Amino acid sequence: MRLSRSFSRSLWVFHFNTGSCNGCDIEVLAALMPRHDPERFGIKLVGSPRHADVMIVTGPVTWDMEDRLRRVYAQMPDPKVVIGMGSCQSGGVFFDSYNLVGPLDTILPVTMYIPGCPPRPEALIDGVVKAIAQLEEMEEEQ
Amino acid sequence: MSWSTTLSTGAGFWDPVIWVIAALVTICIAWLIWRTGERTCERGADAEGPFISGNADPGPSAVHVPGGNLYWGFSTALSGMYHRLIPLHTGLLSDYLLWFLGVTAVILVIVVGVGA
Repeated sequence: MRLSRSFSRSLWVFHFNTGSCNGCDIEVLAALMPRHDPERFGIKLVGSPRHADVMIVTGPVTWDMEDRLRRVYAQMPDPKVVIGMGSCQSGGVFFDSYNLVGPLDTILPVTMYIPGCPPRPEALIDGVVKAIAQLEEMEEEQ
Repeated sequence: MSWSTTLSTGAGFWDPVIWVIAALVTICIAWLIWRTGERTCERGADAEGPFISGNADPGPSAVHVPGGNLYWGFSTALSGMYHRLIPLHTGLLSDYLLWFLGVTAVILVIVVGVGA
């Protein structure tokens, strides 16, 4: 992992809630607060998938959100990575629920999971840093 | 008159050589901008569609705002008048001629009556 090179450009993150209880969403916002301040490294949330390198998915994927999730992922430019945040991405306490499509990796190619219910901001930042390394590899392959 | 003669109109000029040079410069700039684009961009309905929070594009017909929306306030405020006027517009020429003759007759009666 060569962070020095990867930090040469910003890493913009799109946050997608597929049915979260908002626990993970609050931790996403907590990670952006001045205590950690990832924006000083150019890591920030964006409002459109067109501008994003990373998509953070929070919450279990409900039936209504499946096609929206696929559509938003398709609208992100390559290279792109998907981070599943929280225990719900692998089912969690809602595993095998009638109202869920299934684990996130049955819908999108998930690069990494950040476990926890909810994960702490430090875990989220660690996941994003690993996403940078993954993006580096993808760019080299291209 | 040479093909490269500059035509002066008083308000400006037209020179085919300058026009060709300007067109070439514009094409070069456009090519440079196009060159910086993402080559791996996916093609397809989902990738190229507008971002509406993940919702499907409803299509132009579903989101079209008709011109009538601009004067909705007038048409609503004057709806009492429109309810009476619209049925009178039958589209039949004979009806319009009848209205014309009737109104003309009424005006004549008024004018003649006032004049007398």
